[in-house]
Amino acid sequence: MTFSTMLLTMGEGMLLTILLFALTLIGSMPLGMVVMFMEKSRIKPIAWLTKVYIAIMRGTPLMLQLLVWRFGPYYLFGISIGSAKLPALLIGFILNYAAYFAEIYRSGMDSMPVGQYEAAGILGYTKIQTFFKIILPQVIKRVLPSVTNEVITLVKDTSLASVLAYAEVFSIAKQISASQTSFIPFVIAGVFYFVANFIVAFIMERIEKSMQYYK
Amino acid sequence: MKKFICGILAISSIALLLSGCSAKPDAPASSDAATEARDFGEGMVFKHGFDLDYPPYSHLDDNGEVGGFDVELAQAVCDYYGWKYEAVPFNWDAKDAELNAGSCDCIWSGFTRNGREDDYCWSIDYSDNTQMILVPADSDIKTLADLSGKVVGVQTATSAYDLLQDEEGQKPLCDTFASLEVFETYTIAFTALKSGAIDAIAIDVTTGQFLMNGEEGYAFLDEVLGSEQYAIGFRKGDTELRDKVNEALTALVEDGTYAEIGEKYPDIKDFLCLKPSSEQ
Repeated sequence: MTFSTMLLTMGEGMLLTILLFALTLIGSMPLGMVVMFMEKSRIKPIAWLTKVYIAIMRGTPLMLQLLVWRFGPYYLFGISIGSAKLPALLIGFILNYAAYFAEIYRSGMDSMPVGQYEAAGILGYTKIQTFFKIILPQVIKRVLPSVTNEVITLVKDTSLASVLAYAEVFSIAKQISASQTSFIPFVIAGVFYFVANFIVAFIMERIEKSMQYYK
Repeated sequence: MKKFICGILAISSIALLLSGCSAKPDAPASSDAATEARDFGEGMVFKHGFDLDYPPYSHLDDNGEVGGFDVELAQAVCDYYGWKYEAVPFNWDAKDAELNAGSCDCIWSGFTRNGREDDYCWSIDYSDNTQMILVPADSDIKTLADLSGKVVGVQTATSAYDLLQDEEGQKPLCDTFASLEVFETYTIAFTALKSGAIDAIAIDVTTGQFLMNGEEGYAFLDEVLGSEQYAIGFRKGDTELRDKVNEALTALVEDGTYAEIGEKYPDIKDFLCLKPSSEQ
């Protein structure tokens, strides 16, 4: 296998990695917000169930969760599954990352002093206005570093999709390494992850800077 | 109190999950997933399940395409009947889940029949395989007995590994090793051997030959560790499809296609055990 064929084959894997990464992010960041509100819900059963959900998502390996989403329908209900892997992967990744994002958002929300709510109330803001105009912008600012951490972890976690033989870059690196008895594919994969995360970190830093409008 | 209820909820939901899982394996239902009435006519989709990490039986070829002896042979079987070939690469650790859940029709990827006789519906054996010990040519290890006190490497979930863990197999020999290092892939194990981190590798002879291609100074011990046969594993009870594939295999052996594909894979061609009736 020539080096260019290797790069080309791995390039296809990189595209699949990026696809999984992007769809997971698009799904889990808003869902995390919903989960956070459910966790803070005043209806106790909802809050408890959400806590259980978060406990399971954080307390079991993501690799195991992916296997459950892919093969669970068959083992639990006897439903024959097709060969499409992306749905199971997306459900697994989005539900898992939503749990982490929910906790990050909650840390931001809980850090807001009660006085701000009281002041907003006195000034005549409704609850919804208070949240969107006063609280949320500050929360976003505060949670950004933690979110960056999580997003970088996600880039690397996409390699867990290899357990379902999703042809992302790390699976392909392993396969080429086996058939060519070479370590080069792993080096290429390493460089790819590093560059991808460098870009993520760069973009997040720009966003952080753009939010420092009081400094 | 809150915490207590949360705990109960968590435990019961885990119990639910577990009971759901354990209810499965013995159910004969496992075979009906994709075995319902099929006509085996032209256009049937044949879903070939294999691991892409297992050269030269199934791997990514030099053009980055799915290839290998098993893949080409499966494609030939499909051509024979006019079936539509569908490649289903899977992770070796999840092969049984993939097969039972119906995402593939068979496990056909240098799959050892010995020791798994009752777990699958087996085709005829199409390849022999031998487990050997791979050492540096200048090593002082000359026989299996010399492995005593040495560090031996093996790839996880391979037949060589199973053999070394089997009480009736080579477990007694394995107990004489200083340690058995279990690697994710043989490529990594071979790198460990080159760097001197381990003294020997227990490996299928075909995979071992593949690794040694273009490498000087490595050799197999003369003594054989074990031998076995490769066959195609179908879902239990799926005898119809198995018989169809057997029939096609026999025909491909007779018309020389099987040997022709074998010629492309010099590392394994000596191990292909099916012969046309004229040569028997």
